[in-house]
Amino acid sequence: MKRIIVDAAQCAGCRVCELACSYHHEGLFSPSLSRIDVYKEDKYGLDYPVYCRQCDECPPADACPVGALSKGDHGATILDAEACINCGICANVCTYNAVKLDQASKPLICDLCGGDPVCVKKCPTNALTYEESEEVTDQPEGVFRMLRERWGIDV
Amino acid sequence: MSKLGGYTGKVLRIDLTQGVSKVIELERDLARGFLGGRGFNVKRMYDEIPPGTDPLGPENKLYFATGPLVGTSFPTASRFNISAKSPQTGILGDTNAGGHFASEMKYAGYDQIVLEGRSSKPVYVHVSDDNVEFRDASHLKGRGVYETDEIIKSDLGDRRVQTAIIGPAAENGVKFAGIFANLMRAAARTGMGSVMASKGVKALVIRGTGSVSVSKPRLFEALVEEIEEQIRGHEQYWGRRRMGTTRILLMANAGGFLPTRHYTAGTFEHAAEVSGERLAEEFNVKSRGCFACTIPCSRFYVVKSGEHAGLYGEGPEYESQGSFTARMGNRSLETALKANDLCNRLGLDILTTAESISWAMELHERGMLTSEEADGLDLSWGNEEAILTLIEKIARREGFGDLLADGTRVSAERLGRGMDLTMQVKGLDIIMADPRGLKGFGLGYAVASRGGDHLRSEPFLELEDDPEIGERMFGVPDATMRLAYRGKGKLVSYFEDWNAVIDALEPCKNIMQNMEILTFDLASKVIEATTGLQMTPAEVRGVGERIINVERAFNVREGIRRKDDTLPRRFMEEPLTEGASKGTVFELEPMIDEYYGERGWDLETGIPTAETLKRLGLDRASADLSKI
Repeated sequence: MKRIIVDAAQCAGCRVCELACSYHHEGLFSPSLSRIDVYKEDKYGLDYPVYCRQCDECPPADACPVGALSKGDHGATILDAEACINCGICANVCTYNAVKLDQASKPLICDLCGGDPVCVKKCPTNALTYEESEEVTDQPEGVFRMLRERWGIDV
Repeated sequence: MSKLGGYTGKVLRIDLTQGVSKVIELERDLARGFLGGRGFNVKRMYDEIPPGTDPLGPENKLYFATGPLVGTSFPTASRFNISAKSPQTGILGDTNAGGHFASEMKYAGYDQIVLEGRSSKPVYVHVSDDNVEFRDASHLKGRGVYETDEIIKSDLGDRRVQTAIIGPAAENGVKFAGIFANLMRAAARTGMGSVMASKGVKALVIRGTGSVSVSKPRLFEALVEEIEEQIRGHEQYWGRRRMGTTRILLMANAGGFLPTRHYTAGTFEHAAEVSGERLAEEFNVKSRGCFACTIPCSRFYVVKSGEHAGLYGEGPEYESQGSFTARMGNRSLETALKANDLCNRLGLDILTTAESISWAMELHERGMLTSEEADGLDLSWGNEEAILTLIEKIARREGFGDLLADGTRVSAERLGRGMDLTMQVKGLDIIMADPRGLKGFGLGYAVASRGGDHLRSEPFLELEDDPEIGERMFGVPDATMRLAYRGKGKLVSYFEDWNAVIDALEPCKNIMQNMEILTFDLASKVIEATTGLQMTPAEVRGVGERIINVERAFNVREGIRRKDDTLPRRFMEEPLTEGASKGTVFELEPMIDEYYGERGWDLETGIPTAETLKRLGLDRASADLSKI
């Protein structure tokens, strides 16, 4: 399956992905409405975009009390907005914190833009790619630790 | 009237004395006449801060403003201006930074935030969308910028807030302390951090969940794509990605205008050791960018060996890299990185800090300052220990550091010697380009509205040394020849107007101006697509001219006249003796005449004429200045 892959060593933390995402999905420039979120630790120069990993096992879909989340095209988790009751359980159970809630508690989940993700297209440093890949299980903290070690930063 | 795109349409006024805040509507005339950022700030300053106001008194106000492009996907639109009357210079204070603070201001719903009055106890102000909270900051007193950021994020339980913080230097009363966003994004010229400290505010902390939209989305998208292409295809793209502004150091050295040993030379024999190229090869580990940037030029470095092994951080930019090396005769790049890091953590302006140290070193070398007077420090050129010790002493106002903590103009007054050797204009210490090798830059320093500074004009076209550009753009071939004098009034006024527009719209000047992207023509289209305001390119330039004139009027009201538009004596009397700019001094007065002619300012006094001010719609300034 094709997945969005991040190379955190290349991510400059510019958040162009967040802008592209919110504009594509909502017609507004608003990081709080973006399905991708760059976690940052300025002190160590670290940036890591977080978004839906298209896990084979999807805890939010399993936990949704009304079955509003299901696997759709390209392996994306798709929301049935009409069925959704805005309970927010999905955001609590996602292993990667990849489900955000908007102000009405409606979940914001990456839908891969129908198979051509705008965040990947707009990424200025090619830190994001869309390619065939096994499931990725990295967590930002682990990647940050690995990069700090690679660079010789002693915390 | 329809709502303008780009803007949030709201201004937040925070009264620290009363501990209250209110929101006012952004005035449409202000948007049309001044566009944003630096323009919004100076217009309100002019109207609200009367002449003679004590810069560190409660009557001074501190203005944060960003521009209509910020918060959109316009490439590099991330910046904000902070302005107030300056405690360092006593005139217009203004500084600008990038990072992620300005966009957060927009998402919280504000084009401008004004801090007024003075808090009776130390606070930090937490703005979260519509909520404004004054939080106790007594536990942050004396803490460094990094530490403060960490404590605030932990106090609030929110790692996504954006912070603008002052360090201990500001709290200790240093007059050139800055305000720091994202830890290392320094808004540090002219002492705006010192003003924030005087208001009892340790930090302005912002979180916004709103959005920004534009007036003409299809046109906006097309323009953004066009600009993204221009950036990606630009010949400077990879140099900037790799080195940021540190790429300049070797160019300045080759041109013979790299200030060395306090401007006693224009080339540094160790330039290669302290170059951006070496920094990139040996120290940099990663690129970083400001919000919405498609050419991220900041760099994260790690020092792996030697005395400063284990040091890491972002940057530095050329002004810091060059100031802590060539300017003070230091050949250790690692020590310069350490000096830059100390300034960030303590909250100091690197340029004035470095100038203060370099000035003291020259006095010492000339036998005008003894080691005893300098707390026993050996101030020989490039003494690394003395450099780092003095930074700490300045930040604490301790011993000899206290003498250096107000900027070199005041230091020389207090010491009773060395005024001729201070490299400052109007009390603001000048940057890392020797004007003897760059006549347009020099004129720019002399007339800049915040004192000796290049970012008001930065007429980089003269670096081309191509008479055809001068002929085409200004009808004067010499205008774009770096060692020539004619046409520089036209060159500098053009670039000043251009930069004022960029500082109002708030994308990155390095990219939009230095890479010749956001011209007046293109800006006219961008403004229409973003805000819906229709302006011809000439009207866009008119906004720049208006900003420059209000700034001048503010300064005139504070006593600035032609005599103040000058340069340090050295540049006008001592020729450079080596390098590619050898043999020339600076002949300023004819250039000032030409510049005033271009500006429509009185040749004798330097005051804008009533006719000029009225043409720009500045009736109040015209009435004020007519009484002088």
